[in-house]
Amino acid sequence: MTTPSVDEQDPRAGLRDLVTMLDALTDHAVIKLGPDGEVVRWSRSAQAMTGYTEDEVVGRPPALLRTQEDCDAGLPEQELETVRRDGPRSFQGWLVRNNGERFLAHISLTPVAGGDGAVTGFVEVLRDVTETARAESLFHGLLESAPDAMVIVGTDGRIALVNRQAEVLFGFDRAELVGREIEMLVPPRFRDRHVGHRNGFLSNPKVRPMGAGLELSGLRRDGTEFPIEISLSPLQTAEGVLVAAAIRDVTERRETEQRLQRQRDEILELSTPVIQVWDKVLVMPIIGTLDTLRATRLTEGLLEKIAQSQAEVAILDISGVPTIDTQVAQHLLKTVQAAALMGTVSIMSGVRPETAQSMVHLGIDMGRLRSRSTLQDALQLALAVLAERAGTAEAAARALTSGEPR
Amino acid sequence: MTDDVVPVMQIGDTLLVALQGDLDDTTVIRIEEQLTREVSQTSATGMLIDVSRLSVVDSFIARVLARIVAMVRLLGAQAAVVGIQPAVAITLVELGVPMGHLDTALNAEQGLALLRRLRRGDTGTD
Repeated sequence: MTTPSVDEQDPRAGLRDLVTMLDALTDHAVIKLGPDGEVVRWSRSAQAMTGYTEDEVVGRPPALLRTQEDCDAGLPEQELETVRRDGPRSFQGWLVRNNGERFLAHISLTPVAGGDGAVTGFVEVLRDVTETARAESLFHGLLESAPDAMVIVGTDGRIALVNRQAEVLFGFDRAELVGREIEMLVPPRFRDRHVGHRNGFLSNPKVRPMGAGLELSGLRRDGTEFPIEISLSPLQTAEGVLVAAAIRDVTERRETEQRLQRQRDEILELSTPVIQVWDKVLVMPIIGTLDTLRATRLTEGLLEKIAQSQAEVAILDISGVPTIDTQVAQHLLKTVQAAALMGTVSIMSGVRPETAQSMVHLGIDMGRLRSRSTLQDALQLALAVLAERAGTAEAAARALTSGEPR
Repeated sequence: MTDDVVPVMQIGDTLLVALQGDLDDTTVIRIEEQLTREVSQTSATGMLIDVSRLSVVDSFIARVLARIVAMVRLLGAQAAVVGIQPAVAITLVELGVPMGHLDTALNAEQGLALLRRLRRGDTGTD
């Protein structure tokens, strides 16, 4: 970098240009120091950053701007000495403005050598990095305080960052994870596929859940697997795209869901019982409102029982159904038709006067389905149907054995 | 003309046909031809079509079954379908295949009794 110097033999116009260019630097403060570190030149940007005017600082010692602790430790003098001996150097340090406010600065010191090689001064360039540092610490704070385990992965598939929750969840220490491939947290049987999916995500990075609809598993240090849910989001950084994966252990929720499903099945099972009351006669008392799901289960339950018991008559008792509307009647009719296809006669029972009235008013046509008001009547009808069938069966058997036609 | 697709058993004056395996449309048509031929050749008075080995009955097979029953009736015999599986029954109802007039029974034994009743009804002595 070229720095203007008082004893350079450039035309004055060129010098003014350089000063203007320096002053135009708004986020960097450029300071020229003398051989002992005293301020020689103070750019306008240095004034803007520190609050000191050139008049206030020229000739002041290198301890200017430094914190009391640094000065007590003799740091400013040591740094100058190091740079004088070893050449340019950059470091970070806390500085103090004129108003007493502290700021974190990125400082670079470059020695300026005279014609004989002896150091005649230094150029100090300051950059205020307080905001950057704050943003970084905010990012890390957010990462650590996130309720989910966070694993941040680079484009090469290696882990760049993890938070405390990720350490706890997978049982690894941070140092064991960072730099390793993300697949170490994936059960071995999914690893090959995972590499493909990972590259797929990178070719079209956007916020989305991972493996939508699939049940994902994570692998702990001790080799155990556990169900997880993962949300992916791309992070655009100077180092390229990073992928932030928020990982949640869903073991508990999965178990709750399974228990709920089991209970729902049991309730459905309990609410559609089929009872064999007589040889070849089944009764299905229907209680409560019939929705499509229950009606389907009811039909399946009845037909399975018919197949198993070879019952010839099924009584559907609707005395426990509060109202028969068009939809419920439709469900009942389908059940009756399916049973008829299998060869079983259905009888409806438990029809109350008001039910009969409302069904006819609604224009519900139950076809030729036989109906009785009480279960007792329905059972009698069922036995009559059976007796009639048995009579013809016997006759048929006799006809077969005797060889008598018809 | 003797390319029989399904084995047909004759018990007394009743023919018993058991359908099984995957039935494609051509096979179903050939079964239809074979069964009508058998009825006229044997002068049987009843036919039972056992479909208990069929786990899938699509709407085409269902329609052909109904057609066979109608053809057998025209030939002067009675026909019934026996052993429709629960899942098949539900599917046929959900598909809305019109099979209301089809006579069915749970198994071959009850099917024989059903044929007996149908014959009685046919001869007007019911």
